[in-house]
Amino acid sequence: MIDVKHLSKSYGDHLVLNDISEHIDAGEKIVIIGPSGSGKSTFLRCLNLLEIPTSGEIFFDGQSVTDPKTNIDQIRRQMGMVFQHFNLFPNMTIRKNITLAPVRTGLMKQDEADETAMKLLRRVGLEEKADAYPNQLSGGQKQRIAIVRALAMRPKALLFDEPTSALDPEMVGEVLKVMKELAKEGMTMVVVTHEMGFAREVGTRVLFMDGGVIAEQAPPEEFFSNPKNPRTREFLSKVL
Amino acid sequence: MGQMAELYALWKGQMIAGDDIAFWQEFFVKFYQAFIEADRWTQYISGVGTTLLVTAMALILGVILGVLVAMVRTAHDQQRPGHRNILLGFVNLLCKIYVTVIRGTPMMVQLLIMGMVIFASSRSFTMVGALTLGINSGAYVAEIIRGGLMSLDRGQMEAGRSLGLNYIDTMRFIVVPQAFKTILPALGNEFIVLLKDTSLITVIGGKEILYAAQGVMGRTYEAMFPLLGVATIYLILVLIFSALQAKLERRMRQSDRR
Repeated sequence: MIDVKHLSKSYGDHLVLNDISEHIDAGEKIVIIGPSGSGKSTFLRCLNLLEIPTSGEIFFDGQSVTDPKTNIDQIRRQMGMVFQHFNLFPNMTIRKNITLAPVRTGLMKQDEADETAMKLLRRVGLEEKADAYPNQLSGGQKQRIAIVRALAMRPKALLFDEPTSALDPEMVGEVLKVMKELAKEGMTMVVVTHEMGFAREVGTRVLFMDGGVIAEQAPPEEFFSNPKNPRTREFLSKVL
Repeated sequence: MGQMAELYALWKGQMIAGDDIAFWQEFFVKFYQAFIEADRWTQYISGVGTTLLVTAMALILGVILGVLVAMVRTAHDQQRPGHRNILLGFVNLLCKIYVTVIRGTPMMVQLLIMGMVIFASSRSFTMVGALTLGINSGAYVAEIIRGGLMSLDRGQMEAGRSLGLNYIDTMRFIVVPQAFKTILPALGNEFIVLLKDTSLITVIGGKEILYAAQGVMGRTYEAMFPLLGVATIYLILVLIFSALQAKLERRMRQSDRR
């Protein structure tokens, strides 16, 4: 589904991603972990071109993401993203936050979008917040809304950029629960996170990034019980 | 009224004759001749009309120019590398030159150039003044708007784009409405500066409040009361608009429900 070929990204002289090639199948739940500055967020943001790769190619469902001739909006509609800081639109109600993109992109009519929004909100237990504004919600609620907002576009894949890192500890659980449900339903997910428990429980594959490369990858059981790379071992000894 | 005119004539005669008259009598005479004699107050009032008209026209022109320039500059700066548009680059360069020249030269010099060089043969000084002020204001408004657009957390733009909204829609529904609230105070200040700067169009013959005062000064050889009058009128106008601005900002904050 997502094909990354020789992806490199540098800021000036600083090489953040160094010739990464990777393939992600439909239905996979990829969890990317690694120390800060290892390039994991940059890698994720390159997938939907929020960061422009310096070189290399990315394909989504056979379509080139990196080709300047591609209509990137068309691809982003199929690839939702959830941000560390939620990035809800504070000038709109929750309902409007969710329905804006489906309606403006012509995916749904307003009433259909409203219906979808309510259905999704019910799923995450926040239907009574439809007419509230983002500033009236807690962090955990905001992030669940952000997930709903991404889902309203009916994406084929979801990218999560440290979705629980900005949350108070007691709110992490409610967000992870929604993500686990999505995983169970077969959504293709790429998750950058520090939640090792989530990686172990939900991930189909764990990528360990360090110094701009994928230093090691394995299914979670193997990854956590028998890490091969010394850097992986060192990292895991610090976080587990 | 008739009584006041008589008193004025009497005391003025005494003043001219060199008689000693009380301070308050002299005050009355000067005040009367600055504002009331020959219905001079109507000149100030029509000056106020011109000032407001010029301010309104300059404001409209300034906002239109400012929005256009800010849109070009922001769109140019937010292009994807490798997706550069040559035409946009050229227009952006023009906008940059415009902002640099206008902000880099004094308002007074711009007015004189417009009034005495570019439109030297034009007799509608007030219109030339309004045009110049509008062009001047546009450069500042452009930077205010650009600053507002840039100051918004870039996560907002990213969130909009990540949902598949195009650049224009993201700007229209997400970035601009939020930026508007942050630029409103600065825009209000710019408006007040503009209102006061209309006094400068006097130098090219624009007939606004200061022009009226100068006319009165020329006829009465008295500077204090006409100038204090002008200052007072400007102060009152500014106070009115400051109050309106504060009210608007309060209302915008109310919609900012928390």
